[in-house]
Amino acid sequence: MSAPEIIFDEVSKFYGEVLGVNRVSLRIPPGITSLVGPNGSGKTTLMNLMTGLVHPDRGRISVRGLSPRDPERLMRITGYATQYDAAPRGATGFEFVSTSLLLWGYSSTDARKLAWAALERVGLTEAASRKVAAYSKGMRQRVRLAQAIAHDPDVLVLDEPLNGLDPVVRAETIAMFRDCAARGRHVLLSSHVLQEVDVISDQVILIANGMIIAEGRIRNVRDEIEEHPSQFLIRCSGAPRVASLLFERDHISEVKVVDDRNGLLVMTRDRNQFASALNDIALAGHTIESVVPADENVDALYEYLIGGQR
Amino acid sequence: MSRDFRIRQIWTIARLELRRVFFSRRSFWVYGLALFPAVIFTIAAIAMTYESRTNNSAGAISPALLDSVREGERVEAVIERLGKPIRDVERTRRLREDDDKEETEVVSRWLRYWDGRRTANLHFRDGILETKWVRQIVSLERQRDAYNGMFHYYYLKLAIFFGCLGIFMNLFRGEMLDKTLHFWLLAPARRDVLLGGKYLAGLLAATIIFGAGAALTYVAMLWPVDASEARVFLAGPALTQILRYSASAILACLGYGGVFLAAGLLVRNPIIPAVVLLAWESINGFLPAVLQKISVLYYVQSLCPMPPPIDSGAPLLIRLFLAPAAPAPWPVALIGVCALTAVVLYFAAQAVKRLEINYAND
Repeated sequence: MSAPEIIFDEVSKFYGEVLGVNRVSLRIPPGITSLVGPNGSGKTTLMNLMTGLVHPDRGRISVRGLSPRDPERLMRITGYATQYDAAPRGATGFEFVSTSLLLWGYSSTDARKLAWAALERVGLTEAASRKVAAYSKGMRQRVRLAQAIAHDPDVLVLDEPLNGLDPVVRAETIAMFRDCAARGRHVLLSSHVLQEVDVISDQVILIANGMIIAEGRIRNVRDEIEEHPSQFLIRCSGAPRVASLLFERDHISEVKVVDDRNGLLVMTRDRNQFASALNDIALAGHTIESVVPADENVDALYEYLIGGQR
Repeated sequence: MSRDFRIRQIWTIARLELRRVFFSRRSFWVYGLALFPAVIFTIAAIAMTYESRTNNSAGAISPALLDSVREGERVEAVIERLGKPIRDVERTRRLREDDDKEETEVVSRWLRYWDGRRTANLHFRDGILETKWVRQIVSLERQRDAYNGMFHYYYLKLAIFFGCLGIFMNLFRGEMLDKTLHFWLLAPARRDVLLGGKYLAGLLAATIIFGAGAALTYVAMLWPVDASEARVFLAGPALTQILRYSASAILACLGYGGVFLAAGLLVRNPIIPAVVLLAWESINGFLPAVLQKISVLYYVQSLCPMPPPIDSGAPLLIRLFLAPAAPAPWPVALIGVCALTAVVLYFAAQAVKRLEINYAND
């Protein structure tokens, strides 16, 4: 049996005359998937569409085989920490998490236990009895996360979940995402912190102006962008000499000697020929200490794909 | 999911929502609307009790003596027969009856007597009794009429109407403004279940608030009435009256609640449906019988124990506006409001299924 997926099939959403997303088709497998795009690109719209907070004007959405128009079954397996900062007036952190669990059909006792467990996971037990309205931004972020994970969902949807978290909680939260992903669950998150996305995501979805411009594993996405030369950072001795040798090759478009003169930043249009050239240079007696891709990260992909739109 | 589970969800939603409805800052004025008549009746009761006590301390005469006073009697004869009045005020005025005549001096004297239940205000002009005005300070009949008028014209037409507007419109619209509606939409509950839970919360809150207001007003209405008279009334028709007033108040909350809940989902500005419905309910008396039945007020007034009082001296247009349609039998009234509510809730359920979170536009 194939793994359950989140499917967007030719989905479009307009807010009046304003485009939300346009003809989005996606198949998102379990694991950690990051939605990356500039403000207003359609990330939140995609999340709202898959949780039924907004409805598509065209197309079909399926979340592990369930329709967002069936919240009774969908939200049983889904937890969504939205970007909306408001909380029910007067509710404490504990009430905020536990009362929502009552709607899942848990008894008061079970709801209390699950709420404490969720608050513990996000490090909010000490502030649990304080009103959410008095929380800091980071604490409100955490309490929303606690509410989303409290019923142990199969699909976790998180809008900018790492904003405002301190380093310790951030690391614990990322570990929690990884744990969920390892158990075959979906973790779909949006983030502006590209380095973070790079580190934690199994795959990325790059979105701009309501359209998907790339999706998949970061490496695969990078490979698909043929028009942009690949960048490599080479650590070697005799960098100027190695640079001149590389320049003799047709596929090399640019070589820069790095500031300490013990390395080169190379741009190539053909990764295979580049590997072969490096082999030749090494055989010719030059010491190549390391070669690492310099643009296999979301920052670079973002720059290549979205460019000036950021 | 089983039906039992959904019913439990409706109850859970209603319980969670009730606290917000009762303690929302947006709902506080509803308490004012509901309790205003109780406050007025209480103030009136205190005033009546105070007046009775003051009069008693000044001395009461027998009812027969009070009734014996006739217009045309001289003031000295009245004082000699009835004794010292509880109030005696004399004033002299100069009057000119025609422009060309000289001014004449007129002596007016007001005496007040008290027989334990009634006051008689006697106005003497130049020592001759000109007018006699007898007023019973506390009258059960008058109190009941006052309550009935208050219930029809204030409670049903204004307080419950605008109270339900405030409570039920806020169930969805208020959460949209607070940007908290998404919490409900992200619960594993069908949208119509959510609607049912919120409607139940609104209905319970409105029923409790206005039921308590009406009951308190009823108590305040009976407070100044003579204890023995009140006991007889309570043992007799009072219970039926209270039940019928309560039933019509609950039905009004049921009907107006449904209408305003649907309106809150279908339109953004609550003023528009409120004005339209208020206008519709106001002109209801002029409409053909079939159209009259498409009204909440028609059914709930049918359940009241007494028709709305209309002052025979009021202008014709006012009387036409206030005139109620021929009342429906109580089972028809009950079924009528329930059917009307079911229809509007059906449309509300369709609207809530299409509901989207778009706080930026609300």
